[in-house]
Amino acid sequence: MSAATPLAGHFAPSSLPYRDGHIGLVELGEGPTVGYLHGMLGNPGPHAVLEQLAAAGHRVVAPSLPGFTGSSEPDGLRTLHDWVVATSEVIDVAGLTGAPLVASSVGAMMALEVAAVRPEAFGPMVLVAPFGLWDDDDPVADPFGTTLSVQRAMLTEDAAASAAFFDDPADLPADMVVEHGVHRYLTRTAAAQLIWPLPEWGLAQRLHRVTNPVTLVHGAKDRIIPASYLGRWAKALPNVVSTHLVDDAGHQADFDQPAQIAKIAAAAFA
Amino acid sequence: MKSIFFHLMPYPELPPDFPEQHRSVWVDIDPKLYDPAVGHRTYNAYLDQLEFAGQCGFDAVGINEHHSNGYGLMPSPNIIAAALSRNCPDTNIVVLGDSVALYNPPLRVAEEIAMLDGITGGRMIAGFPVGSPMDTIYAYGQNPATLRERYHEGVDLIRQAWTSDEVFSFNGNYNKLRYVNVWPRPVQQPHPPIWIPGGGSVDTWDWCAAEDLVYCYLSYFGYKAGLRTMQGFWKKVQDLGKETNPFQGGFAQFIAVADTEAEAWDLYREPAEYFFNTCLHVYAGYADPPGYKTPNTVRAGVEGMVERAAREATARREANAADAAKAGAAKASYGSKKLTFEAMVEKGYIILGNPTQVTEQVHELATTMNVGHLMVFSHFGNMDPELVKMNTEMYATKVMPEVAGLFEDEYEDHWWPKADHQLAPVGSRAQ
Repeated sequence: MSAATPLAGHFAPSSLPYRDGHIGLVELGEGPTVGYLHGMLGNPGPHAVLEQLAAAGHRVVAPSLPGFTGSSEPDGLRTLHDWVVATSEVIDVAGLTGAPLVASSVGAMMALEVAAVRPEAFGPMVLVAPFGLWDDDDPVADPFGTTLSVQRAMLTEDAAASAAFFDDPADLPADMVVEHGVHRYLTRTAAAQLIWPLPEWGLAQRLHRVTNPVTLVHGAKDRIIPASYLGRWAKALPNVVSTHLVDDAGHQADFDQPAQIAKIAAAAFA
Repeated sequence: MKSIFFHLMPYPELPPDFPEQHRSVWVDIDPKLYDPAVGHRTYNAYLDQLEFAGQCGFDAVGINEHHSNGYGLMPSPNIIAAALSRNCPDTNIVVLGDSVALYNPPLRVAEEIAMLDGITGGRMIAGFPVGSPMDTIYAYGQNPATLRERYHEGVDLIRQAWTSDEVFSFNGNYNKLRYVNVWPRPVQQPHPPIWIPGGGSVDTWDWCAAEDLVYCYLSYFGYKAGLRTMQGFWKKVQDLGKETNPFQGGFAQFIAVADTEAEAWDLYREPAEYFFNTCLHVYAGYADPPGYKTPNTVRAGVEGMVERAAREATARREANAADAAKAGAAKASYGSKKLTFEAMVEKGYIILGNPTQVTEQVHELATTMNVGHLMVFSHFGNMDPELVKMNTEMYATKVMPEVAGLFEDEYEDHWWPKADHQLAPVGSRAQ
């Protein structure tokens, strides 16, 4: 494992070589390995849900997908197919092949895409508010046709919950403040690339391939994907173990209620 | 210096309380506000104005492309250019331009500009903008992460299609074409001049400087605010050891000229306020989608002009909300703090005055920014057609002759249709 890159800063304490660049990586705890695949907020350092999963007795390995927090810019990733291959590769590079996985938002969508091709890439999965389904009568909101402050309010119910991504530490050197701003922009860019203009790329037709046991979680106050999608996912996936609607949680329930997500994951992986 | 009469074609009859009652003039503007009868009248009035500018002797007329908005009624500039191509047989036409990434395949742009070049006998200038975020990302659903790569590939395809004398295959990342064969071919060889409208991207400076393309800064905010952007471009040209030929630069400027300064203040207030307070009433959430800017531009802290317009509108909106809160109002409107006409003139957004005053300012603009192509907004906002006519004629007869000689002796304009390569009007247009 190489040292942290200058660009990664506090977002990724370490990194792994990946193609012509690197992926940012956060690793915490000891015990059986659990993977964490981030959502739209990327993987901003050892944030709370990782600490909670580690505290529950897991070794948590959280890679950042290309372009997201701490990883180099995606090179040559243009189509969904490119991204599925890249995500599959990141899982292998991070040593997570076959491990249980907690995945959120865009990361949950990509985990399902990979599992549809390669179910053995993961063990049981806990998926928090995946993108990938669309109902004309109950559409997914646009998180990008907004100001940054509104987008922040759409991502978590409590703005403080997303501080690890949006707010720089007070002691961060000035040049790193600029680079973190660039990285935030690139993270939001990478998320937009996955779900713009509409987060529906035919995944529903591939879900029958996802035979992994899936635990579904959704924030009751998700302002991007309506909570009603919890039922749609439960109906669409072939092997759903349980569903959980989490109170006082927005789209990234893993940031709003990290302890609850860790508890649900511990039960799912027991 | 060349003067180009440039038209944005705004919808002229948005309600007076539009900024207070509506969130944005772009992307999600209420479709019910559009009256087709007004549209019919407006298109024909605007075409008349463009034709009149040609008759007045402007070096060219200019148009551009926008979508889903009340700011500009030209989703297809080539249609307007086609109308002009027959009625302005002696006038050069600047399409500034076709948003290349929105055409599938972009070959369509190569074909249509070639058609127009054929009709006009070689009087076209082809502009290739990336396009505003509102047009490309929101109205046309392009992915912001790949927009610029798609755009550059499209421009590359068009240039190859114009210059190749063989049928060829194009294996791009976004365009897979087994047979590329533009037919008709442009009259101008190897192709019409290419201008690149920019909004402040530092990578566009690099590209235009390296490829010897015209960099046009189409700013709403006048020459005082635009100086830094143009200096950024010229610095890139200098860094490459190239000549800072002013004809490689273009700039847009609102002009308001009358017999006296007092008359100008009186005549142009309403259309200026309509433009800046209604036509630029853009929701800030549509101005800066992630991925639209390059990392270099983010790092340099350069703000695009749409982003600036939206930010200023938002600041006024927030000030209004604060006032409403102080007054105990139940609900703040979208915005009622207006940019004043006095501020527009003071900051240089609008060059205003009698012919002498306007000439002095245009001269200052051209020499400080080193710009040899001036896009003149003689029409703006909801300006009355008679006033447009007066403004156009006064600029053409009293200002333009005073600035036309700028740079002409010292520099060659490599980016202008060559008169000796043009074909004379024929058929019913032959005089």
